[in-house]
Amino acid sequence: MRRRGASTKVMAAGTAVKPMTVEAAEEIAAQEFARIVETHRPQIFRFLLASLRDMDLAETLTQECFLKAHRNWSRFRGDSSAMTWLMRIAINLQKDYWRNRRIQFWRQTRTNAVDLDEASEWLPNGERNAEQQMLAREQVAQVWQAVKGLSERQRTVFLLRYVEERELSEIAAATGLSEGTVKAHLSRALGRVRTELRGTR
Amino acid sequence: MNWEQDLAGEKPELEQALRHFKASVDAWSDAAYHQPRTAAKSAVRHSWRMATGWALGCLLAVGSLAGAGHEIYHRQELAKIAAEKAAQKAAEERAAAARVSAQPASVQPEKKTPAATTRKASSTQDSAQSQDEDLLATVDNDVSRGVPAAMEPLAALMDDGGAQ
Repeated sequence: MRRRGASTKVMAAGTAVKPMTVEAAEEIAAQEFARIVETHRPQIFRFLLASLRDMDLAETLTQECFLKAHRNWSRFRGDSSAMTWLMRIAINLQKDYWRNRRIQFWRQTRTNAVDLDEASEWLPNGERNAEQQMLAREQVAQVWQAVKGLSERQRTVFLLRYVEERELSEIAAATGLSEGTVKAHLSRALGRVRTELRGTR
Repeated sequence: MNWEQDLAGEKPELEQALRHFKASVDAWSDAAYHQPRTAAKSAVRHSWRMATGWALGCLLAVGSLAGAGHEIYHRQELAKIAAEKAAQKAAEERAAAARVSAQPASVQPEKKTPAATTRKASSTQDSAQSQDEDLLATVDNDVSRGVPAAMEPLAALMDDGGAQ
């Protein structure tokens, strides 16, 4: 338990404990936040990259996400996990981005979003043979195609479930939706993926 | 459609595709995450350039519109002044025509020959001259009469002398 003040407190056992100063508490909070950034930054970046398919934009929004989190760190009560809280911030930033893009449809904004073929090129170097690699690449391209056709909310739920491997309750907490709605969105997203996989066979 | 049933009924192909998709996104994200980036500065410069371009463009557009508006206003003003002048001239001409038509028929010249015009001009000049002389004489008379009281007898003598 953190306490702020300069007086000492004598515990029942008789050991004197020096209460924490404001500076020390801030130092600990900063260290704690730095650890959270280190742990969750790659995950937030991955989610944003998959959502936006734009490396620079994903990097920018990741930075904004942690900046916002740092500003509001004192208000984080720990009702949900830090990851869920950060994911919620990232989802809101992403929403704001799409909203601004829609509003500024007349503006010629330069986007660095890669096309689906380029995104599908990425595969981990496993021990698969060339044929399996080709099949995997084809499947990845089909899933990307399906993801492209999803609504913003469906895409978010789908990526949180199948890329970030979050539990339904966590997805519900991060998106602010009920679990039933999350399931419905997942079902529709999966249906779309299935159709895409069937359609190109 | 029930989601639980949906997942239970998933075919291995779908599961495999989703697994590959996750692996692909992971690989891409790892590569992108560890890649050094120097985009921030250029992005700022780009936005500044764009903002400057927009500002100049807006300025040019506003200037053009203002210039065009001023030109139109100026032309309208000139046209208004010209119309007023034309109307004034027409009114003067109408008034002159009315004056001419109001004169008696005997006074009106039957034919406007150059000789008649010259004669008319000389007679008009003569009459104007005689009117001027009459006016001056009256003024002299008035002025000479307006003498101080002390000079009144002298003025009377001069009048008498003039009468004689």
